[in-house]
Amino acid sequence: MAKVRDIVLMDKPGERVLLLGNEAIARGALEANIAVYAAYPGTPSSELTDTMAMVAQKAGVYMEYSTNEKVAFETALAAAWSGLRAMTAMKHVGLNVAADTFLSAVGMGVEGGFVIMVADDPSMWSSQNEQDTRVYAKFANVPVFEPISPHEAKEMTKYAFELSEKFKHFVLLRTTTRSSHARGDVVLGELPEEIKQGKRKFGEFKKDPSRFVDVPANARRFHPQILEKIEKIREELAECPFNWIEGKEDAKVGIIAPGLAYAYVKEALAWLGVNDVKVLKLGTPFPVPYKLLEKFLEGLERVLIVEELEPVVEEQVKTWVFDKGLTIEIKGKELVPRVYEMTTRRAVTAIAQFLGLETPVDFAKIDEKYEKVKTIAPPRPPSLCPACPHRNSFYAIRKAAGSKAIFPSDIGCYTLGVLPPLKTVDTTVAMGASIGIAHGLSVASGEKQIIVATIGDSTFYHTGLPALANAIYNRSNVLIVVLDNFVTAMTGDQPNPSTGETPHGPGKRIPIEEIAKAMGADFVAVVDPYDIKKTYETIKEALKVKGVSVVVSRQICALHRIGQMRRRGEKWPLYTVNEEKCTGCKICINAYGCPAIYWSEEKKKAQVDPIMCWGCGGCAQVCPFGAFEPIKEGEQ
Amino acid sequence: MKDYNIVITGVGGQGVLTASQILGWAALRAGYKVRVGEVHGMSQRFGSVIAYVRFGEDVYGAMVPEGKADVIMAFEPVEALRYINYLKEGGLVIANSKPIPPVQVSMGLAKYPSMEEIRNIIENEFKAKLIAFDAEELAIKAGHAITTNTVLIGALTQTPEFPLSAEHVKEVIRLSVPPKAVEVNMKAFDLGVQAARELLGL
Repeated sequence: MAKVRDIVLMDKPGERVLLLGNEAIARGALEANIAVYAAYPGTPSSELTDTMAMVAQKAGVYMEYSTNEKVAFETALAAAWSGLRAMTAMKHVGLNVAADTFLSAVGMGVEGGFVIMVADDPSMWSSQNEQDTRVYAKFANVPVFEPISPHEAKEMTKYAFELSEKFKHFVLLRTTTRSSHARGDVVLGELPEEIKQGKRKFGEFKKDPSRFVDVPANARRFHPQILEKIEKIREELAECPFNWIEGKEDAKVGIIAPGLAYAYVKEALAWLGVNDVKVLKLGTPFPVPYKLLEKFLEGLERVLIVEELEPVVEEQVKTWVFDKGLTIEIKGKELVPRVYEMTTRRAVTAIAQFLGLETPVDFAKIDEKYEKVKTIAPPRPPSLCPACPHRNSFYAIRKAAGSKAIFPSDIGCYTLGVLPPLKTVDTTVAMGASIGIAHGLSVASGEKQIIVATIGDSTFYHTGLPALANAIYNRSNVLIVVLDNFVTAMTGDQPNPSTGETPHGPGKRIPIEEIAKAMGADFVAVVDPYDIKKTYETIKEALKVKGVSVVVSRQICALHRIGQMRRRGEKWPLYTVNEEKCTGCKICINAYGCPAIYWSEEKKKAQVDPIMCWGCGGCAQVCPFGAFEPIKEGEQ
Repeated sequence: MKDYNIVITGVGGQGVLTASQILGWAALRAGYKVRVGEVHGMSQRFGSVIAYVRFGEDVYGAMVPEGKADVIMAFEPVEALRYINYLKEGGLVIANSKPIPPVQVSMGLAKYPSMEEIRNIIENEFKAKLIAFDAEELAIKAGHAITTNTVLIGALTQTPEFPLSAEHVKEVIRLSVPPKAVEVNMKAFDLGVQAARELLGL
């Protein structure tokens, strides 16, 4: 099991390796001779960016963690304008942030291949909504590819660069959680000489204001050009290696399976023992290649479209069939749910229903039996880590501001502050929204309501900055606590301007308190949340100030710190409960809620799980009876 | 072989993803077509975690459907129960018996079921076999609690009709861990094998 970095850089064409979907895309980008990569991390896209960070220098690729998706998009776009192959990546909601540039610049096209990787999250395993990027593809008239496996993801990436360059158009590569976070066997291809030698590639921007300045006179030309391009691409895609027809040639029944749904359809057909159907596998859900569709529909009487989320393919197919005046029964969203992710169970159920068959296992019976499990298995939602500095910040905020205060928060690990016992998150919407919402709530209450917003360091740079400027400019009355843990923790500890580190060495550090001061905040302070008393006192003081207060609560992410300590072989203190001092008051559990602390029903005392304790000592500060004591150096 | 399906469950941070990767590599090195399904991001933070390892000819998507897993390997008793609907009738559950009570239980908002309650549902309702033992204790005996997942993988290889040999899987672990951790992992693996053989009466 070699290291990911070594596998992705491996110069052994034909070698079979196991790669995560996102890692396979990174390899595909290298095989395509990418020159510039810029992205802001977001689950489930992050490992692509992290893999690029690991290999970029060795491969001679310019790579950066940008501060948000819009600037990342622009960075990569300008490189593509300069004739270089460039890529950006984001989670689905990241495209909302980049959408202004995406939809405005699409008509200008590109010179070098430009691939926009967007990772959707059906069922919302780590997201705030369930939007379907394929709808954006249709909106922008940009082709979208969707892989069925890590290997296909790699191959599609290469093809996407070529297609983009051929038509001088943007190309979307859309994954979902289940393709980005699936590992599979991948066969390595050739690496270009420049990548092998690690030679950085440079481009040249050729001025053409009639193309790159979107004043109305120019922009009016773009729209018809885009429509012409997408129809040419639709024709081209009938020949693309990721779209094909398989199964029984003279079948009366057909199944259309776009993207990853193909994988579930294949498994479903095998499980059901059905082999007398024809299948249209679509790697490009938009635009549907009509030539291939026409060939597929020949001889068919009934068609089922097994599609995840929005009926993007269904609408194109139905429109085409209607326009041709064909009479074919087409079923889609009547049998396949429009919400949440596609599964084999869903595919089996829809196909069985469509064909009038029994499912191979009685899912309803399993569900019925499972009811009992639901009643006795206690819930285990994700929680803030042991020693997480956010826990201490929330604890201090809640104590200082009281439960009547309103707590707008933001997107990051600290969203978990919504859970009991902390319950210090009243709203979260989108990246950077905490400050705008806090300001609006303050306006609505006539500046009387106590409002304490929380936002992480990375989110602050991402979209918090304009919101802070607005609040200060418009004389808001809010307290903003920036939870600065030095990394973009939720997505995997990526660096950001808080430390100024980059994957390739030092960038420039931008201290949050200096920004707040420069913008004119009425109160600015920096605290260490591992000192709960001082944090509490500072928040109390900030709440007395009328205007915009900014408190930077700064302490390194515990998970990040422990990871570093483990790698260096360092130890940390462990805490234990002095059972003579513990009165069983449960403050540590009911108000603080560290996952390393649990309740012993037998002893009626709190206990610390030594394997989970990461030694921050917050419990010792919270306990009124001094029952938590450090014992020894841990060695996890 | 058409397909072999393993479901791995536990608590974020216990090493579920590492275990799934090791098994994925082991299957790849045995020449199979492989899919490993993982969830990253928020669910990794001490929440309930599930991963899937599948290999064989008929393997396409990365998720094992309900009712199709051949075996469940659980790092924690309640997490064995929570995903029992993935197991086929007559399948096997290999579980670490050491519980990690969720914060909700300590707060008195939920109750942690007894091992008997868990066994009752798994064996009587879902018609499956459960073997449970303190894998963490064996890991500590081997030299470090962090090898709990190796103990469990060792046990997993003793599943009747498991398509990969114990020696093959052990070799992949030997190649995967840092050199200084090889010995303790090898010991942990053997303790897992031994525990499973005793419980399965082999």
